[in-house]
Amino acid sequence: MFVINCPYCGVREQSEFKAGGEAHIVRPKQPTELSDDQWAEYLFMRKNIKGVQFERWIHTHGCRKWFNMVRDTSNDEIKAVYKMGEKPPIE
Amino acid sequence: MLNYKNVITEEKSYTGLQMKEIRPVMKLIIRGKKREFLSAIGKSLNLLLPTKPNTSSKSEKLTALWLSPDEWMIHSNETSNYNNNDYETENLLNKNIYKTNLGAVTDVTDQFVLINIKGDKIFNIFETGSPFNFNDFKGKKGSIIQTILAKIDVIIHNQNQNEVNLFVRRSFSQHLFSWMNDSASRL
Repeated sequence: MFVINCPYCGVREQSEFKAGGEAHIVRPKQPTELSDDQWAEYLFMRKNIKGVQFERWIHTHGCRKWFNMVRDTSNDEIKAVYKMGEKPPIE
Repeated sequence: MLNYKNVITEEKSYTGLQMKEIRPVMKLIIRGKKREFLSAIGKSLNLLLPTKPNTSSKSEKLTALWLSPDEWMIHSNETSNYNNNDYETENLLNKNIYKTNLGAVTDVTDQFVLINIKGDKIFNIFETGSPFNFNDFKGKKGSIIQTILAKIDVIIHNQNQNEVNLFVRRSFSQHLFSWMNDSASRL
């Protein structure tokens, strides 16, 4: 359990949020030209790092807005929270 | 409000706590992002929508609650007529907001149940079933919080010292009310 600072509502408890998987996955410009393997790579393959990971989260039980979060998966330390469409504040 | 069957039939009272449903109250959800949307609402209703998170604004007849950066709930301060579900405010907003493509107007009068809670033990109840820290919220008149209470989505509006309005989805309202009664009996 941890608290998340929602970029719209402020500090709330984790149970109000839902995780939405890895962030910053770009949709291929020409999906028709991809092989099945490449398409599967885009569609299903996700990093599952022990360490700093970029993720999407949604504040389901609050403002219902999506945002991005940089989280260390080994100790749940939140490095940064930023809105959709914004560039990650840390590399 | 035609054929309105209310779910919460009783008014409950405990030491330091009174709970009752207030009905029928007009409730609208309005959504929009443009700057013209905000000014059109302001002009039509004579009410400025709160843009600061977790706040509300009030006019003589209406109250606007901040729900999200592009979503607000507007409800009437007074109860309306039982035999009528045609609201002047809704018609006005439909004309000035929806028909001009500035935003969306949805009538949620029958979707949300408004429970009015009074007493000095309100937050003792909330603390037994909500992950939110109410310490700062208590002192801020007019503040809004959307959170979970007993695993149910609720909107809580701090009206006054020792008075809050709680909005809950209709299908959950009976369960939440019985949970609150159960919880209140043990305070």
